Amino acid sequence: MTDPNVPQTPETPEAPAGSYVYDYKAAPNRQIVMPKTVPLPSYRTYLAEQKAAAEADEAKWQKSLADYETAKAKAEAEGKDAPKPPVRPVPRKDDNDLKTPWPQEATDVDLLHLQACLGDKVEEIFEQAGELVCQVAKEAVLEALLLCRDDGKLGYEMLADQTATHYPAASDFAFSVVYHLTSISRRKRLRLRILVPEGFTPESACVVYPGANWMEREIYDMLGIRFANHPDMTRILCPEDWEGYPLRKDYPTVGWGQRDISFREDRGGMLDRIALEKAGQLGINLKQPKAD
Amino acid sequence: MGVSMNQPSTLEHILITTKVEKVMNWSRATSVWPVTFGLACCAIEMMAAGASRFDFDRFGAGIFRATPRQADLMIVAGTVTYKMAPIIKTLYDQMPEPKWVIAMGSCATAGGPFDSYHTVQGVDKVIPVDVYIPGCPPRPESLIYGFMKLQDKIMTSSLADRYKDIFEEVG
Amino acid sequence: MFKNEEMEINLGPQHPSTHGVLRVKLRLDGETITHCRPMIGYLHRGVEKICENQSFFQGQVWTDRMDYCSAVANNLGWVEANEKLFGITVPRRAQYIRTMLNEFNRLASHLIWLATHALDIGAMTVFLYAFREREDILDLNEAFCGSRLTTTAFRIGGLREDLPPGFEKMVHKFLAKFPTCLEEYENLLSENRIWKKRTVGVAKLNAEDAIAMGVTGPVLRAAGVAYDIRKAFPYAAYAEMDFEVPTRTEADTYARYLVRMAEMRQSARIIQQCMDGMPEGPVMAKLPKILRSEVNEVYHATESPKGEIGYYLVGEKGSLNPYRFHVRAPGFINLQSLPKMAEGGLIADIVAAIGTLDIVLGEIDR
Repeated sequence: MTDPNVPQTPETPEAPAGSYVYDYKAAPNRQIVMPKTVPLPSYRTYLAEQKAAAEADEAKWQKSLADYETAKAKAEAEGKDAPKPPVRPVPRKDDNDLKTPWPQEATDVDLLHLQACLGDKVEEIFEQAGELVCQVAKEAVLEALLLCRDDGKLGYEMLADQTATHYPAASDFAFSVVYHLTSISRRKRLRLRILVPEGFTPESACVVYPGANWMEREIYDMLGIRFANHPDMTRILCPEDWEGYPLRKDYPTVGWGQRDISFREDRGGMLDRIALEKAGQLGINLKQPKAD
Repeated sequence: MGVSMNQPSTLEHILITTKVEKVMNWSRATSVWPVTFGLACCAIEMMAAGASRFDFDRFGAGIFRATPRQADLMIVAGTVTYKMAPIIKTLYDQMPEPKWVIAMGSCATAGGPFDSYHTVQGVDKVIPVDVYIPGCPPRPESLIYGFMKLQDKIMTSSLADRYKDIFEEVG
Repeated sequence: MFKNEEMEINLGPQHPSTHGVLRVKLRLDGETITHCRPMIGYLHRGVEKICENQSFFQGQVWTDRMDYCSAVANNLGWVEANEKLFGITVPRRAQYIRTMLNEFNRLASHLIWLATHALDIGAMTVFLYAFREREDILDLNEAFCGSRLTTTAFRIGGLREDLPPGFEKMVHKFLAKFPTCLEEYENLLSENRIWKKRTVGVAKLNAEDAIAMGVTGPVLRAAGVAYDIRKAFPYAAYAEMDFEVPTRTEADTYARYLVRMAEMRQSARIIQQCMDGMPEGPVMAKLPKILRSEVNEVYHATESPKGEIGYYLVGEKGSLNPYRFHVRAPGFINLQSLPKMAEGGLIADIVAAIGTLDIVLGEIDR
């Protein structure tokens, strides 16, 4: 019992076990969390998922109905009150301004025209959030790009963006490469998508859209996808001697320690160069003879 | 003491006794020439500090030199990356002594918000730093305050400290 | 006869007129550039990788620091891409305030471009004049969100707060003053003989090349293509605004200067319309505390002062952070056309070519 008139003495906080040490290795940026799902939007998968969810829902409902029947029969046999009949759960409606855009069936003329022209090479067409998506076979990407640019009905003059995504959890492919095309004259946008496995070299888009040059170099630099017939397939953002591809999911945010350079380290080779120069002034040739 | 324009000879007869070191420090602190070296966001604030409203020139540091060989202050304004680090080192080596470095902003101080694979966590891993200025980016007032701190440091510095190694070698 | 000896020159990464840490490898025949190769990555900070490990709300902080001259425009692209990903409808008042701040940002960015471009070419005075007006815009930024440069101005679903008291007065004061200031710059530059000698016919890039390279923004509009995302794919409140897209056909540095000056006038017009037609109402949509994405993939492009800035986001089911985050930086794509502009020209003109592209290395390297 505490006396309300006596002011409580504040409890002395427990002294910490030791000085606070930031666990550098446990920092979230050092951890690699491999994704477990393949978040690749697709109308076909969406339909399949919806169907599976509806079936599961129906099965659950049937099971609860059956449970109710048995419980009712049991209660009648024992002479007790009948249990409450089950109520089918209504999905809760949130009071907010969210309206998730789901994939929808393709109705746009451009997508239908693409499918008509390319036939089997189109793997999937759908629309989502007002954007047109067309997934083509990975071998036919150049053909599709040429068609998009040159066909009178399509006329996508500009390649706005090209990028790729790593899907380590997928079984039959490893990356998706997306091309965002813009038609300035028709004010339309289209997304072309190909799925490539590890080690596959898709055709470079440089012959159709010269602007793809740096974007493909960036993809190579960040994700390690090489493009065939690219004029200059070198790293663009990271230095030439960089190891690993940073935007892959198995690469930690802090990297593999390249950034932890120190003052003493002479990465620019300045000291070597000065030593060579000084030696040269003294008439000593320190340079290794080059092999022909 | 009344010194009027009619008596120009008065000033000639004033004698001040001071230390050589103090005169040198005073002249160095009031005419620090920074090198034009903008890396990222902080460079814009550095430009703003040099421009009309804040007028860095009041402190004798308004002449941003285009080459490190004419400068004695390097304001590292922005993120230092792995690819840029050797170049910063080269630039620093090219500056003549005495030279000072201000790490402007949290990126140059400790990597800032960029805890990533390509960002060097602070320019002090590459070159020695005299003054650190926090902020992302620091306001021009912060830069001016940091610069004033550097001036204090220059005023209290001694030649013997800076060339201690050489003096010891000579004996 | 004389033997043609080619010389290689490295411009940058530390060079006062490369606007940061751009490096250009040049091969010269006398004073003529025969080969030009821009090399980037000296400010590569891994923004895309960081944002993939941050929640949707946190990611905006890094978009400020990409194109630091136009942080508000980057914020707008980011929040709108997220709103598209989640399917959020934003209140109309918030849209108007966003539009207004975005246009102020366009002014600030163009003023920096004008200041540095003129400084590179040799007109020092414009630098001091342009920064004077830019400080007034930064004061407005500060009044709205407390920060001068890296604003983090918006939130997903609207704005954090309404306009502060006294903001309208500040805007009107600025708008009353700004046209005279623009005339001041034009008096200094437009008919200046040195300015015209350094810019007319320099660093040409015609429309076909520009479209093939994916160049957008004022560089494309100065080549005669009236492609402005504010008109072509209206976002925020631009569909309700009455403004023109200034174009020129000369496709040289001087034309780009004229286009940007005309754009500043249009921006002032849009700000005036926003202030006049500002609707009342809430500034934030009703959202759950935690946003969890569904499987979705969006590309949202907005018109930043430099050109088309696009955000590509991939959402994972039930995830708090984007699975993939990619930025289509206008500077990155525009810089690709530098060899086309500079090759065959004089070494002195590459400074004009870099300045006229209005590049910011923060977004190019990300």
